Amino acid sequence: MRENQGTSESRLLRGVHRTLTGLHPALESLLAALVGMAVGAILMRIWGYNPWKAYAALFRGAYGSAFGRASSLARGVPLVFTAMTFAICMRAGMFNIGAEGQVFLGAAAAITVAFFHLPPGLHLIVGLVFAMIAGAAWSIGPALLKVTRGVHEVISTIMFNWIARFLVFFLVVNVLVDPRRAEKTLSIPVSARFPVLVSRTDLSYSIFLAIAFALVIYFVLWHTVVGYEIRAAGLNPTAARYGGINSKRTILLSFILGGIGAGLAGASIVMGQPPTYAMFSGLPMITNTGFDGMAVAMVGRNHPIGILVAAVFFGGLTAGGRTMQIFASTPLEVVRVVTGVIVITMAIPELLRIFPRIKGELVKILALIRKLHQKRASQSEESP
Amino acid sequence: MKRILTLLAVVLLGISLVGMIGLGNGKVALVLDVGGRGDLSFNDMGFWGAARAAEDFGLEVVDVSSATPADYLPNIQATSASGEYDLIIGVGFLLGDAMNAVAPNYPDQKYAAIDVDTFTANQPNIMNLVFKEEQMSALVGALGAMAAAHHGYRYVGAVLGMEIPVLFHFEAGYRFGMDWGLQKYMEHEGLAEKPEVGLLSVYTGSFDNIALGKSTTEAQLAQGAIAVYNVAGPLGIGDLEAITEYHLNARTETGPPYYFGVDANQDWMGFGMHTLASGMKLVDVAVYKAIESVVNGTFVGGSNVFELSNGGVKISKAKDLLDSIEAGLKGKRIEYADQYTIIENWAENRNTVPAWIWEAVDELEAAILDGSIVVPTANTTGEINAIRDKYPLL
Repeated sequence: MRENQGTSESRLLRGVHRTLTGLHPALESLLAALVGMAVGAILMRIWGYNPWKAYAALFRGAYGSAFGRASSLARGVPLVFTAMTFAICMRAGMFNIGAEGQVFLGAAAAITVAFFHLPPGLHLIVGLVFAMIAGAAWSIGPALLKVTRGVHEVISTIMFNWIARFLVFFLVVNVLVDPRRAEKTLSIPVSARFPVLVSRTDLSYSIFLAIAFALVIYFVLWHTVVGYEIRAAGLNPTAARYGGINSKRTILLSFILGGIGAGLAGASIVMGQPPTYAMFSGLPMITNTGFDGMAVAMVGRNHPIGILVAAVFFGGLTAGGRTMQIFASTPLEVVRVVTGVIVITMAIPELLRIFPRIKGELVKILALIRKLHQKRASQSEESP
Repeated sequence: MKRILTLLAVVLLGISLVGMIGLGNGKVALVLDVGGRGDLSFNDMGFWGAARAAEDFGLEVVDVSSATPADYLPNIQATSASGEYDLIIGVGFLLGDAMNAVAPNYPDQKYAAIDVDTFTANQPNIMNLVFKEEQMSALVGALGAMAAAHHGYRYVGAVLGMEIPVLFHFEAGYRFGMDWGLQKYMEHEGLAEKPEVGLLSVYTGSFDNIALGKSTTEAQLAQGAIAVYNVAGPLGIGDLEAITEYHLNARTETGPPYYFGVDANQDWMGFGMHTLASGMKLVDVAVYKAIESVVNGTFVGGSNVFELSNGGVKISKAKDLLDSIEAGLKGKRIEYADQYTIIENWAENRNTVPAWIWEAVDELEAAILDGSIVVPTANTTGEINAIRDKYPLL
């Protein structure tokens, strides 16, 4: 049965993937990574750091020890969720960059479990449900704006991100605040935390939730009617509408699924990351989770399985970046440049593939702005 | 053949022994929070202290910055697990949770924690290095309030970072000092009541967003603040930039609005033109002492308090400017040709505040030193709210 459903689909995918280099996607990514590392090495050479030593420290830190491996996986967990947020909407033909704001809301909602007692396990599940609801609720705004008023999701999600940021900042400082330590919120009680999977590391059982979520999304997108409709709308909206697919429904659904993922990302950070299990004022712990997730989605070709692999890789870069400082004395700024270069080169294949679509979106947004300008100009001519 | 091999082995052993001695006396890891290096304040001071100790004792220093708070635990864990370091220093309150979580697992590893006292005090392998920031902040606050009253400004400003106990020390002292300064001004001028000078204070929630420091300062200047006290390490660079631009727009070179530096002596920054004084907190001395104690074998866990009486905190004076210029020349932060300009500008800027105000600040300093005035402090929200109620400074 799987064979039947798989063949046409996988043939199409393979066709798309091979347009660029004619290579298998995994090989292509490996090649991109090597190119990125080479560029990073040249940069380090120029700035006077030893690239061999630095990369040795990177791999040692990321995958060379049990602690490193656990740490790499732990860094990847929240990124799986936010990458899924981006990927689902990408599959549905939309640029949802609202994960950032939805993560804030999800984390804040998860923190609220600190206000009441429940038996262990149930407490955790309640927190996760809160986070999912909060993330999904925050994603409904841009979705409804798009469906009812035709507001472009890039613009609305950017706005919603800022609203979420300041709303949650306010909540952290004034409502969820720990009365004994004003710089942070209440900590998630032990009964609602993900237990630590590998002791003395920050890897918790939240990793299984991330894997499960990716698999569920894979199943939904490729093995259900709804998923077929989402993907069809993404590949060709006009054809999909002609084929009787309710585009409004697919937009709403993909946004909500994405919002659930982003909410879980927030929960996985505050409920599954030792030692504090709380949010800090200024939200430094969760800032950029949404945006990093976009990079992971790009590297992972917007495919759930690819994203799982990419998240492990991305987590490894973060964890290994730390040890580059410790074992190779490479300053953090250089580490960030090098890992950034590697990520960008790895995202290039997917970026090129979706470039025509990006270009189309840009043209649309520019036209919108021009129209606004014209409108304002004609108004100001009339009014005085 | 056998003899040659033996000889070779002895030589190799000899070389390796010499090599081990040549490696120096040990290694120190300096773990920084998200503020990171380059703030010319708190974080850099930690590094300067460690670098000075490394030079004096022949040690190696590795500084580890944290990109996000999620790095705190892994950074301390990785440095602890490597077992290579004689001392791991956490520079900043925010690392306290992580250090508290890791330290019990490595009872033989020595740690030093800057600014962390309230919740790790009973860990035998952590040396807590804490400061009475309220004392020098009171002096800065008194200076600011009197200068504001003198120049007819409505407010004194403060740009703070996150709501951590350490910053509550600053705020409590600043409020107390302002109140004291206004009282003093009233008495000196023979007024019937205290002049109307309020406090503008903003907790930005950030220790690394320099742009936020700038925009917050701009807002406070627009509301009529005579000075902005930087209580957020790196943000001060943005604070000073805003003040410098304000002067450029107003075409003034000295006088209000002023900048109050923090932790390090920041009087020299911006060619010494706008910093009236710095509330100094000698993080470098604390770090140096911690490393020294490990080298001498006198390391003990527990609290070490740095205050006005032991020179751990102070308000900057001429001697401190000269010291910071000397260090700046050595560290290539200051050009040789600029040092006299800096001193000239600094003196000129200080002269825009009358001498009696400077004497009053000295008077408050003396009173704190002899114990006749005890500056209040706060660690929790409840305590700082009580102080806000007592010194509302609206």
